[in-house]
Amino acid sequence: MRFVRNVFRRKLRAFLTIFGITIGVLSLVVMGAMTEKLTLLVNGGVRYYGDKVTVTSGSTLLGLATNPLSSNRISDLERVPGVARASASLGMLLDKQIPTVSFGNIPTINASDGRDRGYETFIVKMAQGRELRPGEDGKVTVGSDIVNKLSATVGGTVKIRDKKFEVVGIAEKTLTAPDQAVVMSMRDAQDLYADTLPAAIRQSIDPHKLATSIVVYVKPGKNPDVIARLINHEIPDLKASGPTDFITQIVASLSTLNAIIIGIAMISLMVGGLSVINTMTMAVSERTREIGIRKAIGASNGAIMRQFIAEAAIIGLTGGLTGLVLGWMFTSVVNAAMEVSGAPLFLVTARLAVGSVLFATVLGVLSGLYPAWHAANMNPVEALRHE
Amino acid sequence: MSDVVGTLYGDAPDVAAGPTPVIRAVDLAKRYKLGKENFVDALRSAAFEVAEGEMVAIVGPSGSGKSTAMHLVGCLDSPDSGEVWLNGRRVDGLRGRALTRVRAHEIGFIFQGFNLIPTMNATENVAQAAEYAGLSRSAAAMRAGELLDLVGLADRAKHLPSELSGGQQQRVAIARSLVNSPKIVLGDEPTGDLDTVTSDEIVRMMRKINTDMHTTFVLVTHNPEVAAACDRTISMRDGVVVDQGYGA
Ligand SMILES: Nc1ncnc2c1ncn2[C@@H]1O[C@H](COP(=O)(O)OP(=O)(O)OP(=O)(O)O)[C@@H](O)[C@H]1O
Ligand SMILES: [Mg+2]
Repeated sequence: MRFVRNVFRRKLRAFLTIFGITIGVLSLVVMGAMTEKLTLLVNGGVRYYGDKVTVTSGSTLLGLATNPLSSNRISDLERVPGVARASASLGMLLDKQIPTVSFGNIPTINASDGRDRGYETFIVKMAQGRELRPGEDGKVTVGSDIVNKLSATVGGTVKIRDKKFEVVGIAEKTLTAPDQAVVMSMRDAQDLYADTLPAAIRQSIDPHKLATSIVVYVKPGKNPDVIARLINHEIPDLKASGPTDFITQIVASLSTLNAIIIGIAMISLMVGGLSVINTMTMAVSERTREIGIRKAIGASNGAIMRQFIAEAAIIGLTGGLTGLVLGWMFTSVVNAAMEVSGAPLFLVTARLAVGSVLFATVLGVLSGLYPAWHAANMNPVEALRHE
Repeated sequence: MSDVVGTLYGDAPDVAAGPTPVIRAVDLAKRYKLGKENFVDALRSAAFEVAEGEMVAIVGPSGSGKSTAMHLVGCLDSPDSGEVWLNGRRVDGLRGRALTRVRAHEIGFIFQGFNLIPTMNATENVAQAAEYAGLSRSAAAMRAGELLDLVGLADRAKHLPSELSGGQQQRVAIARSLVNSPKIVLGDEPTGDLDTVTSDEIVRMMRKINTDMHTTFVLVTHNPEVAAACDRTISMRDGVVVDQGYGA
């Protein structure tokens, strides 16, 4: 590796130049990992909400209905034209209190009456164990991000809101909301939910008819946004929302945020690129006589050019790889620390990793272009006179 | 045929009887500009010839144009006027690929002092010239090994230039100059930095290669002993050849 040896001929200078690139790539990886995570969360949401209408009783907090509704309303909803199926679901916070510091999704308990089978397309597969069967009480499956938090193992028990449940499955990572969810039978969830209600209300209702939302699946070819408006019109005491609001608002603001974040990281990398230009220019002028000798023994301009470009590429590549490793270490440490409290903050995707190293290498090559061209076009006689 | 040449280059000096010249420098002129007004005529109508298999010295006072002549003959620079012929082919004015091919294949260069690339060991320095001439990396390394053997440095193959003596470095440079089997090796004060004993050793080595391999050597030197070891001495003064050294 002659090129590597030439790069490290001046150790301190090589180190400083590479360090400049490293910092740039580090920030690109960290910032990029954050936007990748956000993008995934949003895409997960788009996939989940994209084809259905969510019906609640009215005001909601963080997507979790505050006022319960009754599963008796299913038949009302299924009478609305265009509705294929309505399924009661119950969602509540896993903990009794909302975590104060949180990013992304909050751990939840989810349950469904099973009427969504065959209609729901967003299916979470199990990494270990098996799925929960309908009506199977006292058992749960656990989302991948909260396995540690609950110390869950298949066959073991977990304690949820002071009750013990047997774990039958641990879900595969979906990189979105279900990773934070414990899934249990509708009946178990209804019991836990009833406990949170004021005693007066609890006595006046049948807990096993409780639901926090009813998910409405539309008939093929029907626009869920149109059906949502229809439901709101025909059943005024329920609130139906289609996917549009969620998707348009969040996707638009996300892409702006991503552009800003990536832009900042790019600028810091550009500064690293300037230091590559500086280093390569110095290397070329220090090695003027060497260039003269190379030309005298038969090096073509192209060969000289390739040599210096390769050296610049190595600076970019080395800086890119160290930046990636540091960035990956940083995000892993922060993710591990956050796993206890909730969702991981960063996601280093393959395209981010490959992209940032590639970008640093290309930047190195571009920065080396002019110095290399200058070296290649030196007059050999003048180069040889240089001491 | 010789008549035609004679007409075209009427003032070409008499050629020593025998083989055709491998180097023909015809009325070379080179002017270096220094700022707007000043200039130096490094060469003014310099002419000389070297026959195949000769070992020739070029001598002359400092600034007389010896190095400039070497550079023009070695195709490192082009003359303002005049012609350079190598192996019967006109080479001044060549550009691009053709020019690098001549540098790589037809000429070997040895300079004074700092001749080698400091980050490469002896083998790599020699092999580099072979790679520039188009050999694969492994073929070049093998060829380099043979030549280091020839100059008696087989046991120093992996040493960096900084780990070699001045004489050893020049032997590596000789090996490199020969790696592509050129007919001509040009040396610009190849023994300039060496003590008398080492200088003698190097000259004897070049003489042996000259005899065994029939390689033509042209050596610029300030050292009368080096000149005395050559077949003939070309003398320069003020940018012209004042004596081609053929005797009376
Ligand atoms: N690139 C250049 N720019 C300006 N002047 C030059 C250049 N190269 C050579 N000269 C001048 O041309 C003249 C001839 O130089 P050259 O190097 O050919 O002499 P030389 O005979 O090799 O001398 P020396 O024995 O000192 O090496 C000198 O006056 C020198 O200063
Ligand atoms: Mg000189």
